[in-house]
Amino acid sequence: MKLSYICSDSTNPYNNIALEEYLTFHTGEDECILYLWQNANTVVIGKNQNAYRECKIDKLEEAGGYLARRLSGGGAVYHDLGNLNFTFCVRKKNYNVDKQLQVIVEAVKSFGLNAEKTGRNDIVVDGKKFSGNAFYESGEFAYHHGTIMIDVNAGKLADYLTVSKAKLESKGVQSVRSRVVNLSALSDAITVETMKRALAEAFAKVYEGNVNAYQPDEEAKEEINERKEFFGSKDWLLGNQKNFVAQMETRFSWGEMQLQVETEAGIISGVTIFSDALEDTLPEQINVVLKGCPYEKEALLKRGNMEDVRISEVISWIADEI
Amino acid sequence: MSTPTELKFSKSHEWVKEEGDVMVIGLTDFAQSELGDLVFVNLPEEGDEVEAGEAFGDVESVKAVSDVFSPVSGEVCEINEDLLDNPAAINEDAYGAWLIKVKNVTDTEELMDAAEYDKFCESEK
Repeated sequence: MKLSYICSDSTNPYNNIALEEYLTFHTGEDECILYLWQNANTVVIGKNQNAYRECKIDKLEEAGGYLARRLSGGGAVYHDLGNLNFTFCVRKKNYNVDKQLQVIVEAVKSFGLNAEKTGRNDIVVDGKKFSGNAFYESGEFAYHHGTIMIDVNAGKLADYLTVSKAKLESKGVQSVRSRVVNLSALSDAITVETMKRALAEAFAKVYEGNVNAYQPDEEAKEEINERKEFFGSKDWLLGNQKNFVAQMETRFSWGEMQLQVETEAGIISGVTIFSDALEDTLPEQINVVLKGCPYEKEALLKRGNMEDVRISEVISWIADEI
Repeated sequence: MSTPTELKFSKSHEWVKEEGDVMVIGLTDFAQSELGDLVFVNLPEEGDEVEAGEAFGDVESVKAVSDVFSPVSGEVCEINEDLLDNPAAINEDAYGAWLIKVKNVTDTEELMDAAEYDKFCESEK
């Protein structure tokens, strides 16, 4: 089998996911491509997840971070430059998860650590998980990718992956929390750079061949740039879970309120209000103010400066719950 | 499960049933058993155009996200909304749990009959 190796020189998640897609659909009949990449300050959600439920989008964007959606399934993960991602792009007939995982195991073992495969598609060192894996297939094409936690900022991970206070009812796939470990905590010799080299060597060893550098040509770069736009678009990031309902409840000085915010592709389409202070047209007014507003903190607060102080209170409360 | 003889099949493991002018499309039993337990189904919307040989949606199982291809070109006139709440219905009854219905069909891929498809699946194993 032809073995190809490429390492992205970008830390932009949209560029990296676009390159991953390009490689996947241009993998030769008898080729395996090992692609290594890193994203700066990014929450990556699964293909079928609700971005609002998995990620504090506002907080992430305030810090200059990115929200990204991948083509593969599963749950949300946090990437920074202490994390190294790998992708094996292979035709489905050459797809072999066990062998692919063996490359990661061998690379980690080369640092003297006791890495092993456990259960279904997990790799651990001394029982601790340092890598999350996910899979995508499309006709005869496929990829297997995963994270390798080398020195990830655990505080930020917890910050951005904390779900919103509002209870979101959506049909998307939910994340499962795992206990994780950074490899640099287990061996001083492990850095992103040394791990890249170890992976390339393990790739040659497990697949018993010579590894060639993969160079995308100009045409490829054009196509990747186009797809980068797509992977960064709101439609791809937020529109996937087209409709969801956020539920919240609280008590104001003037009464209790239970509220359901219905959204379509990130835009509020209606608000249903249950309250004991419903003597007037308050629900209707709130609906008028909020319909068409993006389900985002800042956009909401911009609409919150109303004559009726109760409406302002309700809107800043909703903004706070996101 | 025996392969229903009234259906036609694509190489990417979708089945097609002709209902008058409308084509009903689903995933085969072979496909669902290869995928494992499904947790999510991503379908197009009514009115969307689908194209023969192009992906129109995807299914997510505990193993992977897998694109679903349309064997025909035309306009989606109905989607099986029950699947959005219950993707496992495909695992339970692949030939009952249709995904989409397509009208104004202008093009159809070359499809296999049940016997040909059974043979094809044998070679895929």
